[in-house]
Amino acid sequence: MADLQAEFESVSSGASQTYPIQCSALRKNGFVMLKGRPCKIVEMTTSKTGKHGHAKVHLVGIDIFTSKKLEDICPSTHNMDVPNVSRKDYQMVDINDSYLTLMDDSGDTREDLKLPEGDLGQDIEKKHDNGDNFLVSFYCRIDINIDFDSFPDLPMHKHLTVG
Amino acid sequence: QTTYSASSPGCKSVQLQCWLSAPPSMVSTEQRQHAEHIFLSFRKSKSPFAICKHILETSKVDYVLFQAATAVMEAVVREWILLEKTSIESLRAFLLTYVLQRPNLQKYVREQILLAVAVIVKRGSLDKSINCKSIFHEVGQLISSGNPTVQTLACSILTALLSEFSSSSKTSSIGLSMEFHGSCKRVFQEEGLRQIFMLTMEVLQEFSRRENLNAQMSSVFQRYLTLANQVLSWNFLPPNHILSSSENVTLKPTESWREALLDTRVMDLFFTVHRKIREDSDMAQDSLQCLAQLASMHGPIFPDESAQVSYLAHLVEGLLSMINGIEIEDSEAVGISNIISNLITMFPRSTLTALPSDLFTSFINCLTLLTCSFGRSAALEEVLDKDDMVYMEAYDKLLESWLTLVQDEEHFPRGCFVQPAIQVFNSYIQCHLAAPDGTRNLSANGISSHEEEEINELQEDDRELFSDQLSSIGMLGRVAADHCIPLLTTLLEDRVTRLHGQLQRTQQHLMASSDLGSVDRKVLDELYEDIHWLILVTGYVLADDPQGETPLIPSEVMEFSIKHSTEVDINTTLQILGSPGEKASSIPGCNRTDSVIRLLSAVLRTSEVESRATRASLTELLSPQMGKDIMWFLRPDISLYTAISIPLSTAFGVDTEGAQWIVGYLLEKVINNLSVWSSETELANDTVELLVTLVEKRERANIVVQCESWWNLAKQFASRSPPLHLLSSSVQRSLMKALVLGGFAHMDADAKQQYWAEVLHPLQQRFLNLINQENFAQISQEEAVKQEIVATLEALCGIAEATQIDNVVSLFSFLMDFLSSCIGLMEVYSNTPETINLIIEVFVEVAHKQICYLGETKSMKLYEACLTLLQVYSKNNQSRKRSDATAEEDQYQDLLLIMELLTNLLSKEFIDFSDTDDVFRNQDQGTPASSRTVSAADVVLYGVNIVLPLMSQDLLKFPSLCNQYYKLITFICEIFPEKIPQLPEDLFKSLMFSLELGMTSMSSEISQLCLEALSPLAEQCAKSQEKDTPLFIATRHFLKLVFDMLVLQKHNTEMAAGEAFYTLVCLHQAEYSELVETLLSSQRDAVIYQRLADAFNKLTASSTPPTMDRKQKVAFLKSLEEFVANVGGLLCMK
Repeated sequence: MADLQAEFESVSSGASQTYPIQCSALRKNGFVMLKGRPCKIVEMTTSKTGKHGHAKVHLVGIDIFTSKKLEDICPSTHNMDVPNVSRKDYQMVDINDSYLTLMDDSGDTREDLKLPEGDLGQDIEKKHDNGDNFLVSFYCRIDINIDFDSFPDLPMHKHLTVG
Repeated sequence: QTTYSASSPGCKSVQLQCWLSAPPSMVSTEQRQHAEHIFLSFRKSKSPFAICKHILETSKVDYVLFQAATAVMEAVVREWILLEKTSIESLRAFLLTYVLQRPNLQKYVREQILLAVAVIVKRGSLDKSINCKSIFHEVGQLISSGNPTVQTLACSILTALLSEFSSSSKTSSIGLSMEFHGSCKRVFQEEGLRQIFMLTMEVLQEFSRRENLNAQMSSVFQRYLTLANQVLSWNFLPPNHILSSSENVTLKPTESWREALLDTRVMDLFFTVHRKIREDSDMAQDSLQCLAQLASMHGPIFPDESAQVSYLAHLVEGLLSMINGIEIEDSEAVGISNIISNLITMFPRSTLTALPSDLFTSFINCLTLLTCSFGRSAALEEVLDKDDMVYMEAYDKLLESWLTLVQDEEHFPRGCFVQPAIQVFNSYIQCHLAAPDGTRNLSANGISSHEEEEINELQEDDRELFSDQLSSIGMLGRVAADHCIPLLTTLLEDRVTRLHGQLQRTQQHLMASSDLGSVDRKVLDELYEDIHWLILVTGYVLADDPQGETPLIPSEVMEFSIKHSTEVDINTTLQILGSPGEKASSIPGCNRTDSVIRLLSAVLRTSEVESRATRASLTELLSPQMGKDIMWFLRPDISLYTAISIPLSTAFGVDTEGAQWIVGYLLEKVINNLSVWSSETELANDTVELLVTLVEKRERANIVVQCESWWNLAKQFASRSPPLHLLSSSVQRSLMKALVLGGFAHMDADAKQQYWAEVLHPLQQRFLNLINQENFAQISQEEAVKQEIVATLEALCGIAEATQIDNVVSLFSFLMDFLSSCIGLMEVYSNTPETINLIIEVFVEVAHKQICYLGETKSMKLYEACLTLLQVYSKNNQSRKRSDATAEEDQYQDLLLIMELLTNLLSKEFIDFSDTDDVFRNQDQGTPASSRTVSAADVVLYGVNIVLPLMSQDLLKFPSLCNQYYKLITFICEIFPEKIPQLPEDLFKSLMFSLELGMTSMSSEISQLCLEALSPLAEQCAKSQEKDTPLFIATRHFLKLVFDMLVLQKHNTEMAAGEAFYTLVCLHQAEYSELVETLLSSQRDAVIYQRLADAFNKLTASSTPPTMDRKQKVAFLKSLEEFVANVGGLLCMK
C-alpha cells in the first residue's frame, strides 16, 4: 500500500546543514534558523531607526519541530542561516522494541528512529501488523529532536516528537 | 377605537424601559430584547395619537416620552393622507405647547418632540396644509421674550426645521421620494430659511452689543452663532435638481437673497462677532466658518460684476483689519486660512484684479506674511510632535491658495507674485535646513531637539506625504526661478562638498580604528536630511507634476533657460553635466553654464559622491533615504529630458552624445545600486523601476542596449551569480521585466540572437536541466533546488509582465513551453503551498498580460494549459482540509489566485485586441478553428467547480476573497448564461445560494453585483422556453426576493434591482400577479388597499404584457421609481 505515507522531520548529517543567506533575500513561508532553531517564516517586516537609518528586518517564525513562535530582529544586510530541510522516503521494514527499521532507495537501512507516540505510531504499527507495504518519508536534520509529520489518509498534519 | 386601554401601555412601558436601561446584571438578555421589541411594534401601531398624548401628559419616564414622540412622528407621516388637516394642526400645536410648558424636559426628549413638529411642518409644506408662517411668528415671539431658556428653545425649533428641510443625511427618512424632499427644500430656501437667517441676525446683533455676557447668555449666543453657520452652509438646491452634492458646500444663494446678504452690515456683524468672541476657541470656529462661507459666496446673488467687486473689497478690508494688529490664536489659524482659500478659489480673477491696487497689494503682502508665519509654526508643531497639527493644516491651505493664484498668473499684474514667491520659498527652505542656514528641529527657544525614532515600513515617504506642499513650493520656485534655481544650486553644491569631506574624514578615522560603531553619525545625518529636502524641492521645481504619469519640463523652466541662453557657454555646460566627479566650482568658466543643467548636475554630483562611497566600502555610512531621493529625481522622464531639451533649446544642434552619456550614467548607477543596496528593498525597488522606465520606451532602450554594462547586467542576472541574487523577489521580477523589454530594442539580427541567448536561454536551460534530472523528485525539497525553482517562477512572472503588443508573439511561445513544465511542478510541490501559489501566479500573469492579444488558436492553448493546471490542483486538494477557525486570509491565497485567473480568462470577452489575429498570422496557418477543443467557458466552469465547494460562508468574510468571488460569478452569469443550466446539481444549487446570500446579506456593492447577474439568467430562461428547469424555478424564487426588496423594504431604487425585477416579471408573469394579489389581500384598510392597487396598476400600465423589449423596460423602470416613491413608505407599516 504505497499511498500510506508517514512523514518524519529531521536533518541529515552532512557537510552543510545550514547555509547563510542575506536577510533581505529571505521570503515569507521559507525556512530560517531563529535562536538556533529551524523555523518557518510567518511574518517579515522592516523598520529603520531614524529617516536615514538602514533597514532592519523583523522576523517571526514557527519552530518546525515544536511549533513554538520565535522572533528575531537584525540588520537586513546580515546573513541568516537557512536550514537545509530535506525530505527522504524510506521503505518500512520492521519494528523492534519501538524502533523502526527503515530502508532507503539504495538498500541502506537505519534503525535509529523510534516509533512515534500517539495515533501516528499506532497507525504505523497497525499497518505494519496488517502486513501492509508502505513508505515512510521524513525531513531530516541532525542534532535536533526527530519529529514525525504524517498525513496518511489524514487531512491535517500531526507533529509528534520522539527522542 | 384603540385596542389598548388608556393607561396600561404607559405602565407597561415604564416596566419595559426599566428593563432596557437597567444594568446588564439585573435584566436578562431576553427581557431586554422583549422590551425593545415591544417598543418597536408600539411605534408601528396604527393611529397611536390618543395614547401617545396620554403618555406624554402622564408619564414621568424620559425614555417612554421619547418613544411616544417618535411614535407620533412616524404615525403622522405614515397616515398623513388619511388624517384630517385640522387634527394634524392641533397635534402640532399640542406638541409645541407641550415643550413650552415643560422647560425641564430632558434634552433628548425635547429635541425629539421638536423633530416631530418639524417633520409635520415639512410634510405639510408641499400641499400647503400647514402654514409655515405661523410657526416663524411664534418663534419670533419666543426670541423677543428675552428669556434665555425660551430663546434656547426657539433656537432648537429653528435647528430642527433646518435639518428636516435640508434634505441631507440629517433629514428624517419619511418614506417619500427624493423628488418630494427636493421640492420641499426648494420652497423652504426661498422663504423659511431666510426668515431663520433674519431672526438669527437679530439675536447676534443683540448679543454683540452687550457687555458682560453671563454664562447662560453666552451659551445662547453660541447656539445662534452655530445656527447662523448652518444657514450660511446651506447647500442651495439649484433648479431642476433633486439631489445636491454634499462635499464642501459653498454659499450659492438664489437671487431672492440679495437684500439679505449683500447688505454690508451683515458681513460687518460677523467680523464684530468674531472680535468679541475670538478667545473662545469653540465659538471662534463658528464665527470664522461663517466668514469663510461668506467668502465663498457666488452665483446669481450678484446682480453684476461691480456688486461682486465691492462685496469682495469689503470682505478683504474687513479681513485685513481683523488680522492686522492681533496675535493670531492657535484656534484661529485654520479658520483664517479657510477664509483666504475660499475667496481666492471662488472669486473670478477679474474680480480680484478689479480691487483697488493698494488693497490688492496689502492683501498679497498679508498673505505672504501669514504663509511664512504658519509655515514656521507648522515646523514647530512637528518638532513638538503635536497630535493636533492646526498650523500644518492652515499652512497647507494657504500653499494651495498660492498654487491657485499663481496658476492664473497671466491675469495679474506682471511679476506681482515674484517677491512673495521668494519669501515663501525662502521660508520653506529655511524651515527644512539645519542651523545655521535653517531652523530645522529648533524648538521655540532655539534649542535643537533631535530624536531618532523608529520608522516602520508602512510610513509614507516625505515625497508623497508632503506632495501637495511640495507642488506649491515647486510652482513658487518657478515663478521666482531667477532667485530659486541658483539658490538651490548653491545650497546643494555646498552640502555635497561637505558630505564628500565628511565621508573622507570618516574613512580616515576608520582606517585608524576600523570600528563603525565609533563613527558619529550626527553630522552625516544632518547633511543627509538637508540634501533630502533640497532634492525633493528641486525635483518639484524642475517637474510640473512629479506624481503624474509622464511629467514634463514646465514651460517656466524652459523660458528661464532660454532667457539666459546668451550668457551661457554650451561646452562648459556640457562639461559640468558630464563630469559629476569634479567639483562644479573647479571647472573653468563654471559661471557661464546653464543654471538648470547646473542644478541637475548638482544632483548628479550627489549621486556620484554616493557611488564613490559605496566603492570605498562606506555603504554602511550612507543614507538609503538619500539613495531613494536620488533615484526618484533621476527618473529618465525628468533627468534625461532636462539634459536633452535644455541644451537643445539654448544652443543649436541635437546633442545625441549628451543623451548617450546620461543614459550610460543612469545605467551605471542602477547597476551599482542593485549590487550594493540589495538589503534596502525600497531603494532597490525605486532603482529597478527607474531601469524599467529607461527601457520601456523604445528610443531609450535603443541607447541602453548599446552599453556594454547592460549586457554584463543581463549575463550576471541570468547566471544568478552574486550579488544580484540577493535582491528581493519583487526586485528580481522587475529586473527580469526590464531585461526582456530591453531585448526588443533595435539591434541587428546577430546581436539580438546573442542577447536572447544570454538572457532567456540560460533560464530555460537551467530549468530543464534541473527538472529533467532523474532524481528530481528526491532532491526537489532541497533548499537550493527550491530556490532555483522559485527564482525561475519569479522570472517567468517578470517575463509575462514585460508583454507589449509587439512582443507578445515571441513571449507567448516562450512562456507556453514553461507552462506545461509548471504543471508538472504542481505534483512535485503539492505539499509546499508557497510554491504552488507561485506557479498559479505565473498563469495569472500570463492570462492577465497576454490573453487580450491572443487569437483563437493561441487562446485555446492557454485555456488547455489552465484547464490542466486546475485539474492537477483539484486532484491534489481533494482530501485536503483546512482548519477554519484560526485560518488567516493569506492561507487562501491559492483560491484567490485561481479566481483571479478565471476572471482574467473571462476578461477576454470584454477586452480583445486580437480580432484580426494579425500578430500571429504567420504562425497560425493550417490550424483550422474547427479543431477547437477547449473554450474559456469550459475552463472557467471547471474552475468554478473547484472553487465553489471551497468557498464557505466563513471564507466570504474575508473581503478580498468575497469581492473576487462575486466578481467572478457575476461575470460567469453575464458571459455564459447558457452554461448555467448545464451545471451539476450541487454546483448549481450552491451558485444560486451564493447569489441569494450576496443579495441579502452582503455589502451593497456585492448585492448590486448579484442583481446584475439575475437579468442574464432570466433572459436565458426566456430563451430556452423550458418550464420547470432548476434555473426556471430558481428565478421564480429570485422574483419573490427582489419583489420584497423593492416593495417591502426600504431599499433605494437601484438600476440593477429594477432591471433584474423587470426581466423576472417578464419571465414569471403569473407568479408576479400572485405576489401582488397576496400583498393586496393582506391589506385590511380599504384606503391603503386602493392606493396600493392603483400603484401596482400604474406600475405595469406601460408594459402590459411585459416583454423583454428595451423601450418597455425603460418605461417600466421609470414607473418603478414613481412606484417606490409613492407607496414605498406606506408598505413599511406593519
